[in-house]
Amino acid sequence: MAIKICRSILIAAAALLCALSATAHHSGAMFEDQKSMVLAGTVKSFQWSNPHCWIQLLVAGQQGTIEWSVEMGSPSQLFKGGWRPSTLKYGDSIVVTIHPMRDGTNGGLYMSASRQDGKAIAETAAN
Amino acid sequence: MRKSFCTVLVFLACMANAMAEHKSSDRIREFSKLPNWSGIWVQAVWPLEVSGRVAGGEAKLREGLQLIRQPPYNAEWLAKYQAGLADTAAIAAKNATFTACTRGFPALMESPWMFQVIVLPEETLILFENGQVRHIYTDGRRHPSGDDLWPVRLGDSIGRWEGDALRIETVARDSTEPLAPRAWVSMLSDQAYFTERLRLIDADTLEDQMTIEDPVAFAGPWHMNLKYARQKVVNRLLEYNCIENDRNPVVDGKMIIRSP
Repeated sequence: MAIKICRSILIAAAALLCALSATAHHSGAMFEDQKSMVLAGTVKSFQWSNPHCWIQLLVAGQQGTIEWSVEMGSPSQLFKGGWRPSTLKYGDSIVVTIHPMRDGTNGGLYMSASRQDGKAIAETAAN
Repeated sequence: MRKSFCTVLVFLACMANAMAEHKSSDRIREFSKLPNWSGIWVQAVWPLEVSGRVAGGEAKLREGLQLIRQPPYNAEWLAKYQAGLADTAAIAAKNATFTACTRGFPALMESPWMFQVIVLPEETLILFENGQVRHIYTDGRRHPSGDDLWPVRLGDSIGRWEGDALRIETVARDSTEPLAPRAWVSMLSDQAYFTERLRLIDADTLEDQMTIEDPVAFAGPWHMNLKYARQKVVNRLLEYNCIENDRNPVVDGKMIIRSP
């Protein structure tokens, strides 16, 4: 009986932990790890900042234009991936795939991005 | 009289200079014997992507993290640990809202932050991109004693060179803090002490053989082997100021994204 209880506690704990996105600075539980969403829009601003860089993206839709906040890694993680502060500029048309927020607000965690013509935004570095 | 006084002064100045040069050459000789660990390093289980997450997500990360594994507790501490694990609501709340801008020891050695190692004859410094610094004194001193020693997050570290390996001993870690983020119910007593053997095992890999011993909480020593990969793209320690633009406050028990 005691072993059964211990096992169910461990399984419950493991399930709770595995449901999270593994981010460096804070919990990733706010993002829907199992869902992805594609946003096509224009860049309002690109914040090259700590602890996270952010893309503010204006996405036009039936409800009008909505601003999305896309969370990325820190500047050192972006630098490693070939990104620089000048990589995105106001008005750039891009397509971004995110893990959306669980609470349904207009934000998410960056997964990948490309220019509207399909070209990569930055060269990915090996290390 | 004045002439002989001046002669003595010049003589003393020359002697002081000669002694300083002698000491300086000794230091240079000591320095030349030390290994070169220059470069930028990061814990091998944290290959962070542009998203700021580990490829493969939490499950992949947990495979590699060693400090989140079950410590070798004695019966009394194991019971406390299991009672902590049983409180899944508390663990879930912690997992959903934690922010880690700094870490205590030993969690810092398994953190996602890049670091440099500065090896000097008197001490080795480990400088992390988040601004935390480990000072490991290698000048032959002992740990402070009595009232001169109190618990702090990184503990008190001294070291000595064993060939190309740095043997580090750490005591006086603040025991009120869990062992690491994600190991919320793993605690150590204030008697815990840590031994590390830091060395370069190939041109691009630093290794930290860490042993944690705790005569109050553990049934035996806990060994782990942490590895750090040389970073080849990032060639300088970039500033990581955690409060510069933190847009993830916790509101009503939930982490949100704040508008810019």
